[in-house]
Amino acid sequence: MDLDINGQLYQVTELPDRPLLWVLRDELGLIGTKYGCGIAICGVCTIHVDGVPTRSCVLPISGLEGRRIRTIEGLATKGTDGEIKLHPVQQAFLEIQVPQCSWCMSGQMMTAAAVLEENPSPSEEEIKRALNNNYCRCGCYFRVRQAVARAAEIQAEERADG
Amino acid sequence: MAERKKRRLSRREFLIAAGAAGAGLVVAIRLGIPPVRVRLAEFLEASAGPPGSIEAEATAWFEIDPGGRVRIYIPKTEMGQGVHTSLAQIAAEELEIDWSQVEVVQAGTGQGLDDPIGTGASNSVSSLWQPLREAGAVMREILRLEAARQSGHPAADLIAQSGVFTLAADPQFQITYGQVVSSAGEWEIPEEVPPLKAANEFQLIGQPLARVDLRAKVLGQAEYGFDKRLPGMAYGAVARPPTLNSSLKQANIGRANSVPGVIDVVIQDGFAGVVAESRAQAIEAVQALDTTWDEGQKWDQADIEAMVRVGIGDGVVIQKEGNVRQSFEQGDIIQAEYRTPLAFHAHLEPQAALADVGAETATVWASTQSAGRLRRLVAETLDREEDSVVVMPTYLGGGFGRKIEEKAAVEAARLSQAAGVPVHVGWTREEDFLHGFLRPPTHHKLRAALSAGRIEAMEHQQASGEVSFPFLPGFLKTALGADFGAWRGAFIQYGIPHRQTVAYLPSLPVPTGWWRGLGLMANIFAVESFMDELAAAAGEDPLTFRLDHLPRNELGERLRRAMETAADRSGWGSPAPASRGRGIALSVDVGTIAVEVAEVSVENSQIRVHQVTAVVDPGLVINPDGARAQTEGAITMGLSSTLVEEVTVEGSVLQAANFNRYPLLSMADAPDIDVVLLESRDTPSGMGEPPIGPIAAAVANAVYSLTGERLRRLPLKLGQS
Repeated sequence: MDLDINGQLYQVTELPDRPLLWVLRDELGLIGTKYGCGIAICGVCTIHVDGVPTRSCVLPISGLEGRRIRTIEGLATKGTDGEIKLHPVQQAFLEIQVPQCSWCMSGQMMTAAAVLEENPSPSEEEIKRALNNNYCRCGCYFRVRQAVARAAEIQAEERADG
Repeated sequence: MAERKKRRLSRREFLIAAGAAGAGLVVAIRLGIPPVRVRLAEFLEASAGPPGSIEAEATAWFEIDPGGRVRIYIPKTEMGQGVHTSLAQIAAEELEIDWSQVEVVQAGTGQGLDDPIGTGASNSVSSLWQPLREAGAVMREILRLEAARQSGHPAADLIAQSGVFTLAADPQFQITYGQVVSSAGEWEIPEEVPPLKAANEFQLIGQPLARVDLRAKVLGQAEYGFDKRLPGMAYGAVARPPTLNSSLKQANIGRANSVPGVIDVVIQDGFAGVVAESRAQAIEAVQALDTTWDEGQKWDQADIEAMVRVGIGDGVVIQKEGNVRQSFEQGDIIQAEYRTPLAFHAHLEPQAALADVGAETATVWASTQSAGRLRRLVAETLDREEDSVVVMPTYLGGGFGRKIEEKAAVEAARLSQAAGVPVHVGWTREEDFLHGFLRPPTHHKLRAALSAGRIEAMEHQQASGEVSFPFLPGFLKTALGADFGAWRGAFIQYGIPHRQTVAYLPSLPVPTGWWRGLGLMANIFAVESFMDELAAAAGEDPLTFRLDHLPRNELGERLRRAMETAADRSGWGSPAPASRGRGIALSVDVGTIAVEVAEVSVENSQIRVHQVTAVVDPGLVINPDGARAQTEGAITMGLSSTLVEEVTVEGSVLQAANFNRYPLLSMADAPDIDVVLLESRDTPSGMGEPPIGPIAAAVANAVYSLTGERLRRLPLKLGQS
């Protein structure tokens, strides 16, 4: 089967009931998406399916043909000059120096990026609610919410600049 | 607290090498092989981490290439604490290089960089602070002497700055470090370690520099033990016992061989595992093994709590001033008991490693806090010489003490040896929760004699499961009697004339060990909650009462400043906002002071923490943003323990195998945290653990001030005191 991941088609041979997480990590080498619990609680495996934040650890690949999958590896974009352009969320997470161990951060950033698509200027309460199902054991929550607010600003600036 | 002796490096402790053509200059520092006893004494004095291998040499090295890049090889592992950044700042300071020239490289074993201590116990910065600066200064002087030889100018006239030597007398002259190392040098080690900079001359130390590992991390490119891949690799899984106290009686292949993708089934003494082409196949095959277990004795939660009790077994007096028992014979005696539960580390990256065991050599990539110890255990398992095993630590997806554990890596090595291919073992969350070690449960009994609002005598008796002993040689257990990991934070730090601390160490049928701060949070929860109870009994404000009992020495002065700062910053002197209460607590740990004020409310019987003010004095701050991040993280992790975390045992099975039964604190319940850093010394002490000390007590004390209910058990639950 063919999977559309970060705008690229990948041919996948795994069984259809296998969760996307392990296909990404073990078959395709896209290790940026992490494993934490396998039961869709901790959120470290969050990716986008057609723009919707989704837990890849419980998502069988069978229904994914023709869907747009985006992982942390596809969050930044590459300019025509080959330069990597960080997504506003990545810029903000760097600026606020959010990650500690960072095992959960792909999931935090993918969730945040999807939230900001839906709601470009979330309130603090909306940020707290939207990110409430992504665990961080190092305890970076306070910085995560500052960074999501900052990412909203960066996104707005970038969109204003066209 | 005793000041650690500064040890000056001697000439013979430096190694230099002009590598192969183009490799530039390499300087390493050897910290020698101190006698075991000295090493242990230093280690205990600093309340330091586990000596993975006490014979090994601690070293670090720098490399300058002709392009002027400086690679700093750091044996400490990066698990989010920012140690690669802070150690590089320290090393680069005396080297006189620009921060942009620095590249940090994770050192593994077998590179002359064997770290005997491992990464933990908040001691990376404090233990390497002096040797790294001295090594940087010596390297700079080696370069200066060689630059003088090459240029013909006197060494004393050459000014080192930003990786370039210049001359005051000749603005045109410059020679870069890269140019110096490009010519074959006659590297000369200076006779003496040059004088080091004073704190007011620092340019990198004390700056909030960005972490060196974060760009790779936000791009999802950083490689952890669970991520490590090699061509031709396979995946391993291991049969797990049904209870905590089971041993494998018999194992047969069963249907495992018929599972597609199975490469090898490995049944050895007490071990049964499989190697397969994919992780899912390995897990499926291991479940198809036919195993019989001797389940041993079954224990329940009530049994564990009965074992963890002050007064059972022999108590070891670990602190004694004056005569406590005599003081309790009269006067107003106040007593209270506290308990903390078993808890998981719940690092989000479960235990993981990749092992490639060849005929002669073996390499293991692992999320490990203790590469030296891991190498020894892998070598023992493979029945090979330690020299033939290399352990390469990866980034760690959290550690918190648990990644001292070697099991996943040893399993990967055993399976790789049997199957003849590289094998990755990545534990499932269930394996990680059910088959590792935990934070031990504790019980505390405190009593004090109050007289006219002053504490005349105070005793803290505590019982805890083991923390450090399971990882230390057996003779130490006998020699020490009390487990310094379990009693960390248990001492009474106040200036009370009669005080004593007694430690009980039950042997539990649940494996326990290191956890962020070791016994710190549990012990401080008990002592600082009790101080609050005494303040209430004396009818005094909790802050004033503590200030009145500070010791009259340097520690007391540091504590006073930290407490007054915390009071100012948190608005302690003015009433809390409507429906909120404030609580304060302090701790002293590895030379670092932490004072925390929590502001809480209670809604529908649920405790909510809105704001935490933290004042931390680690002596000297290497990276203020990193120190803030460690404080925020420790407080948030500690709050999770304070409010939600607990696991129990029934029939020798832990009653939580995943996060559905063991939730963590999440975003909506995580407070705002205001951090103030104080610097009262000219040397740094630890930052990773100390701020976790006061948080549970600060919250319990805030709940008391708001509701009048004293909660003496973690996690805090109203109506269950």
